[in-house]
Amino acid sequence: MATTTATLTISSTDLLSDELALSTTATLTSAGNSTGLTGTNGLARKTVAGGHAQYTLFAAASHTDDKAHKVYLKNMSTTAAEFFLISIHDVEVGRIYAGDWALIPWSADTTGDDADFKIDPSANDMTLEYMLFTDE
Amino acid sequence: MATTTAAVTLTSDLLSDNMSVSASTTCMKAGTTADGLDQIEYGYVEVATGDEYDLIATTPTAAKASKLFVKNHSIDETYYIAITQNSQAIGRLYAGDWMFIPADFHDAAADIAITSNGGTNKVEYALFHEGTALTTT
Repeated sequence: MATTTATLTISSTDLLSDELALSTTATLTSAGNSTGLTGTNGLARKTVAGGHAQYTLFAAASHTDDKAHKVYLKNMSTTAAEFFLISIHDVEVGRIYAGDWALIPWSADTTGDDADFKIDPSANDMTLEYMLFTDE
Repeated sequence: MATTTAAVTLTSDLLSDNMSVSASTTCMKAGTTADGLDQIEYGYVEVATGDEYDLIATTPTAAKASKLFVKNHSIDETYYIAITQNSQAIGRLYAGDWMFIPADFHDAAADIAITSNGGTNKVEYALFHEGTALTTT
């Protein structure tokens, strides 16, 4: 069985009066059992030359819905004002600004409208690093 | 300014080339490198099965660089919390899973909600943001 782990560390010495040192590790497993996730598209990068427009990064119909998929994203831009707007179907989840990363669970739900995973760069020639871990 | 860093390491032997991906970011306010996110909500709740609950009671300033961390502390592998936003399924966090996502909160309907499945799930969360609209009394 493949083993995939995700370790998060969040730290701050001055956000609160008490130092923040949050650390956690998850072994990424399939829905409802302890079997490791079995698929990935590998680590990839895409430069979106066309700029501001919405693009489908992952189509829900291509994956088993309502499982334990995870999506890793990183905005490779070094220009502070540049961001990718992340949406699931037509719901705006949030913005990842230059240098920001995210690990997002993804339902790939197709019950109603397909929960396609979409990106919208705020400028031309922005590069996104991404990886999908799948539970098929 | 407050300085908060968030780092991730992903390791996997799914591929023939063992993977180890690391990334770190300093959580800044939207569009700047000069000022870090300086406000936080940090909590731990037990959520019984059934109803859907808004995880964040107040509304952070919309279209900013807010970040939301959520971890499911349940240990039964069949338990999960479903994450939804404006009734749209986002994803599921099974026992032990965590997420670190951007949170746009572009309008009142964009609250992030959770629904507990399988049993009572124990959920840790932290919202890093740059302002909320408090409800007047």
